[in-house]
Amino acid sequence: MLKSASMSSYDLILSRDSYLLGLELRLYWSVAFLYGLSLLFFISHAITRGDTAGKTGQTTLLVTVTAHIALIVLRTFEAGRAPFQTLYETLSWFACSSSLTYLYVSRRWRSVYLPATLVAGLSLGACLYALLSRSPAVEPLSPPLQSYWFEWHVILAFFSYAVFVVSAAIELTCLIIKPLLSRGAARGYGLTLDAIDGLHTTAYRLVLFGYPLLTFAIFSGAAWANEAWGRYWSWDPKETWSLITWTVFTIYLHSKAIPGLKGLPASLFNILGFVCMMMTFLGVNWLAKLLGIPSLHVYAV
Amino acid sequence: MRYRDIHPIIEKVRPYCLEAAGRLKRFPQWSLKTLSSLMTSVYILGALALLYMVGTIFPQGGDIGEYAKAGGKYVSFVRFFDLLDFFSSPVFLLSALLLLLNLVVCTYKRYGPLFAKRVFPNTFDPTHTFKLTHDYPEALPEVRRVLHEKLGFRLVSKDNEWIVMEKGLSCRWLTWLYHAGIVLCFFGLILSYLFAFEGEMTLKPRTPLIVAPSTTGRLASLYQKTAGPAGFSLYLDDFSTEYIQHPGLDYPKDKLSRLAIGLGWKGPEYSMKNDPMTPKDWRSRLRVIKGGSTVKEKTIEVNDPLRYGGYTFYQVGYEQTLRIRVDFNPIALETKADGDIIVPGLDTPLRFGTVMTGTLYRLDGAVEKILPFTTVKAVLTGPPGGKKTEDLGKLELGGSIIVDGRRVSLADYEESSVLSYRYDPGVAVLWWGGAFVLIAMCLRFYGRSYMVAYAVDESDRIVCLNLHIVSKGLMADTEKLAGRIGYYLTRDDIRPVPLPPL
Repeated sequence: MLKSASMSSYDLILSRDSYLLGLELRLYWSVAFLYGLSLLFFISHAITRGDTAGKTGQTTLLVTVTAHIALIVLRTFEAGRAPFQTLYETLSWFACSSSLTYLYVSRRWRSVYLPATLVAGLSLGACLYALLSRSPAVEPLSPPLQSYWFEWHVILAFFSYAVFVVSAAIELTCLIIKPLLSRGAARGYGLTLDAIDGLHTTAYRLVLFGYPLLTFAIFSGAAWANEAWGRYWSWDPKETWSLITWTVFTIYLHSKAIPGLKGLPASLFNILGFVCMMMTFLGVNWLAKLLGIPSLHVYAV
Repeated sequence: MRYRDIHPIIEKVRPYCLEAAGRLKRFPQWSLKTLSSLMTSVYILGALALLYMVGTIFPQGGDIGEYAKAGGKYVSFVRFFDLLDFFSSPVFLLSALLLLLNLVVCTYKRYGPLFAKRVFPNTFDPTHTFKLTHDYPEALPEVRRVLHEKLGFRLVSKDNEWIVMEKGLSCRWLTWLYHAGIVLCFFGLILSYLFAFEGEMTLKPRTPLIVAPSTTGRLASLYQKTAGPAGFSLYLDDFSTEYIQHPGLDYPKDKLSRLAIGLGWKGPEYSMKNDPMTPKDWRSRLRVIKGGSTVKEKTIEVNDPLRYGGYTFYQVGYEQTLRIRVDFNPIALETKADGDIIVPGLDTPLRFGTVMTGTLYRLDGAVEKILPFTTVKAVLTGPPGGKKTEDLGKLELGGSIIVDGRRVSLADYEESSVLSYRYDPGVAVLWWGGAFVLIAMCLRFYGRSYMVAYAVDESDRIVCLNLHIVSKGLMADTEKLAGRIGYYLTRDDIRPVPLPPL
């Protein structure tokens, strides 16, 4: 039988962990609130076309991301490992990395805030989903997850997701604003037709940046599966959807080199790639549950 | 029938035949042209993406009978298109083959141009212009010297009125290389598809077991049922498990209570109910025995398999056989962990849980050996199709509990290691292909390469350097390069003065 540990030392550890988790949750809710606030400013900018609302939204987003980084550091300290194991943790990382990437990409833009609406909205959605539906418990790593391949796999996959989110946000903005600009009905957003071309190029360069990361994420996932389960590919729904995402972005990159497809069709492929990416990250869990398909990625469900 | 009778018919049909023959003659060329086009790649990739989606809607590896029994729809359609094993179905395999053909043709067609002489640019259209202070005859070699010696450019061509130089890895080569890498990956996948096989084996401690697969690869299965004995056996020296103690979290499910925690009105609480233990790792100390001697030894665990003779052995789990003694009966009953056993004299079957044994990493950092114990449950008759259980308590090794007046003791237990094995000659090829793809892709996408075409012109004694810079890669910065060219030309006493664009 197990020796009974001295209750005082256990109580101390449990109350410390409970306190840290409580602190983390309060910070997480504050971060979600700030994402919501920045989203409101960006929506207000989209409606009023006021520069002040956009600037305030951008500043709020910057503060939010700073707080979110602190939250991730706190979680790392709490868990004693990189916080990418559960869906609760990856949702947090997804929200933070997307907004951080957006802030980096938009650092030289003047008075352009529209793409931030989607980014802030997604970040808020991810935070609320984690807070309201997932368990924040710090779980020990199960044996298959104790692999350096796993860490690389998740880190790179989420870096590529962040980049694709920002690329889709820019592409979507271009698609909505371009016809309005041609009719002269989109003044006040800091965009011109020339700037729209520049934004298309930025969206393309972001996919160029994210594509090798996604490729590496797929290969590292296969290498990990080969070490842990003895099979590098098992047509698991999540694996298959990651391949779909990769295929759609491959189509996007190829279509940029085809004169007949490099305009609107390429933009639509980029947005479709983003939709597939969201399906890989979240939708496939729902699909696997709905259809009762067993998945090796149950830890992420 | 005479010739003159059928002559008009022949004359009528002849043009069609000639056209058909011509088309047939042109077919290989047409197919090569079609297969090497980017548009074809887009179509094939699009079709494949749709097929992948189909494969995620239907549970793969399922049985059509069970599918129909579970209320699955369109059974004949599912059977016809083999949707429950879709990724091995002819439709999918043909599409994948088409992509491979497309890739091979594209890669082959783009191999020759790698060595062809490059023509750049077709029309010289300067993107940057500098006014030089040097004399015209000296300026040209000086610019070339600066580009070559200071900035590392190499000469591509000097046959035209303008000179072309480049710097960095060739984008054409890198693009070609990662496409070739994908072709290599495909060959790895084909090798796996044709020759790989796998199975499972349960190793009892200190009992050698010959590795004798009961299956074989798809290709070999056409003429033999099994791959035959591998020619060596595995010997399990030791098996061990490790557990970690982790607290449970008391956390509400309803959203308002969660919000209350977020607002600090309540707090989440970790607790240690029933000594919660979760597996941390399990390990097998293995020996490969060939010809009576040990040829390889290794302790394997999840994520760290043993490789020998083309086979890879993975730790997938373990099995426990429990020996239960009832009262003082000298004959012990045997049962598997988590299996039900009917004990003579008892109305309800009993279920013995996994024997917890090995090392425990406690929450407070202490490490200790677990005194082996199991849990006992009475299996009650529950609702149709289900069973209810009632906890009867913990049972230590050598200890006993009383159930309905009977003394039930855990006399002994034995742990066997469950390994899966796989023979897959495609893996190495796939990893080599993957390495090619990733290295070439990263260099192509993230690196920088430049091509510069320049001409030094003189008009009214004003010497100008006209530059056309083309860059590839995310790190490339044409303005920065132009600045550096300007800097080095200044430093070498040919003072450039930027002029407004033409």
